[in-house]
Amino acid sequence: MSALPAITEPFALEDRPAGADVQAEVERFYYREARLLDAERYQDWLDHCVDRDIHYWMPDMDTRRRDDPRGTYAHGEAAYFDDSYAELSTRVKRFAQPSAWADNPATRHLHLISNVEAYETGRSGLVAAFCAWMNVRNRNETDQDVLHGRREDVLRRSDSGLKLVRRRVFTVQNVLLTKNLNTFL
Amino acid sequence: MCKPDMAPVYPQASSYPHLADLIRSERAQVDRRIFWDEEVYKAEQQQIFARAWLFVAHESQIPDPGDFIRTTMGEDDVIVVRQRDRSVQAFLNACPHRGNRVCMVDAGKKARGFICNYHGWSFGIDGALRGTDGKVYDTDAHFEKAQINLTPVAQIESYRGWIFATFDPDAPPLTEFFGPFTFYLDAFLDNDEGGTEFIGGATRNLVDCNWKFPAENFVGDILHAFWTHQAGAAAILGGGVDLGPHYAERAFQASVFGHGIETNLDKVGNTRTLGYPELVQYVFDRYPAMVERLGETRARMVGAIGSCTIFPNLSFLPGQNTVRVWHPRGPHQIELVSWTVVNRAMPEHIKELYRKGVMMTFSPGGVFEMDDGENWEYATRTNRGFVTRHQPLHYALGLGTEAPEKGLPGHVCRGSLNDANQRQFYRRWSEFMRHDNWGDLQAAETAPPQHQEAAE
Repeated sequence: MSALPAITEPFALEDRPAGADVQAEVERFYYREARLLDAERYQDWLDHCVDRDIHYWMPDMDTRRRDDPRGTYAHGEAAYFDDSYAELSTRVKRFAQPSAWADNPATRHLHLISNVEAYETGRSGLVAAFCAWMNVRNRNETDQDVLHGRREDVLRRSDSGLKLVRRRVFTVQNVLLTKNLNTFL
Repeated sequence: MCKPDMAPVYPQASSYPHLADLIRSERAQVDRRIFWDEEVYKAEQQQIFARAWLFVAHESQIPDPGDFIRTTMGEDDVIVVRQRDRSVQAFLNACPHRGNRVCMVDAGKKARGFICNYHGWSFGIDGALRGTDGKVYDTDAHFEKAQINLTPVAQIESYRGWIFATFDPDAPPLTEFFGPFTFYLDAFLDNDEGGTEFIGGATRNLVDCNWKFPAENFVGDILHAFWTHQAGAAAILGGGVDLGPHYAERAFQASVFGHGIETNLDKVGNTRTLGYPELVQYVFDRYPAMVERLGETRARMVGAIGSCTIFPNLSFLPGQNTVRVWHPRGPHQIELVSWTVVNRAMPEHIKELYRKGVMMTFSPGGVFEMDDGENWEYATRTNRGFVTRHQPLHYALGLGTEAPEKGLPGHVCRGSLNDANQRQFYRRWSEFMRHDNWGDLQAAETAPPQHQEAAE
């Protein structure tokens, strides 16, 4: 098995798009993942979509001048997620509690996925993928939060299909326009 | 010929007795209109946010000359910038020409100045107007550059690396604003050589609640943890929040000038909830050194179940090491900015575990914080109802629990499951509404008890 890229490394060989069959496989992965998340099937998501070696990272996005060498985000700084499998599992445990009040009554979720592109990684068994996402969460009567962003992922082949092993989630928001993130993006 | 007077203007405080009376201390009640009415919010901007010392930055965020961060004091946009002489200054982030913002970014390093995008007026890091775009002003014989500056805050001071500013030239020195509450602050700001630093920048998000709900929550509401945070505690600890067998004799609340801390003195209860046993061990290992530095009571506070608010809107959690400001954004919204604080002397891997632990617990996706926001939003929003907001709220838990025998500074009460600090917080709020001068403010009921001052 080839080594996994660090969360800060480029994932995709952008001059080597994956073939049509892999592209279709990646799209199927994303749509199924979105459906599981929409249905709050978080344990199923972990079991079927997430590799044990996952590094799942969603940095905070700063507003910085173009000439600022730090850039708009940096690994090791503030983040919403910077998780291993064990840490994702801790979050899933909270969702499973009947007293997770921010999820009871249930939130109505929608993950819309588009702009899907699959690429080779130069590492065996690993596929790089980009997509754009929109996340809608509606609660109670009129509470609605809408977030948008992009993902940069690495999917690893397993006996049961592709599994997510690296994910970078970039939101377009600086001040997050929501009271919480009771979902995965 | 007329001449512009560009001297800074610091608005004067007034007196709003009818708003002050919305806090009914004699009945341990609070009128809900303080969470909803536009009139109250406007008065808060004048009486509280234009007068009180407000947290603006940690020294570690701007180590070198020209380093700056942008924040707000109330709703006023402010740039905090390290000067060439290593002092720190803060300015309104608004050009004195047409009022446009001169700094658009969250932070930056080694800036030489700030330039307004509108007409190119440029200001040094000392706030002074350096120049303008083009030659028009240079050839205008009556243009006097010397008096034009970004408006500085009236006063700025640092306490153990935590920088506060005020728009009130008459505000007392920062340590007088804290009073003997520094005794408690030092347990967190000074429990190790070198003091504290902020790591990793901030997360920021909007919550549709009145700013006072989170402020009062952190000033003394451990009660909510048992119910609100059952799910988060179950996820991380595998069980509920537990105050342990020594709660009755150890836990207390203390308040001075509306600042308040509630603590359980259990050494590691808050640290434990970050979910990393290595951090708990670290706090235990450091305990003897902290006893040496702080004495037993305060050493027990460092990682204990507890929470703290500095009036009006800075809060932190001991042991969990999250620091946050609840910036008001109208009566029904806040911008929550939160950071991770660590001791400079901690090993890097310990700092990293605090960064990750804060993210897992007290950030927008954190398993504890996730369940707070909705409570504060609906506690605010129900007041849309005209009749609803005329009903009193109950703040009467722990009446008669005053505990002067503990010999600790401030208004001290037995037990952390107590509304005592929240009563003091709103009493302070009421004092700010009532008094138009600091003499009355610092001599009001929330001041430390008389016998303590006599003893000092």
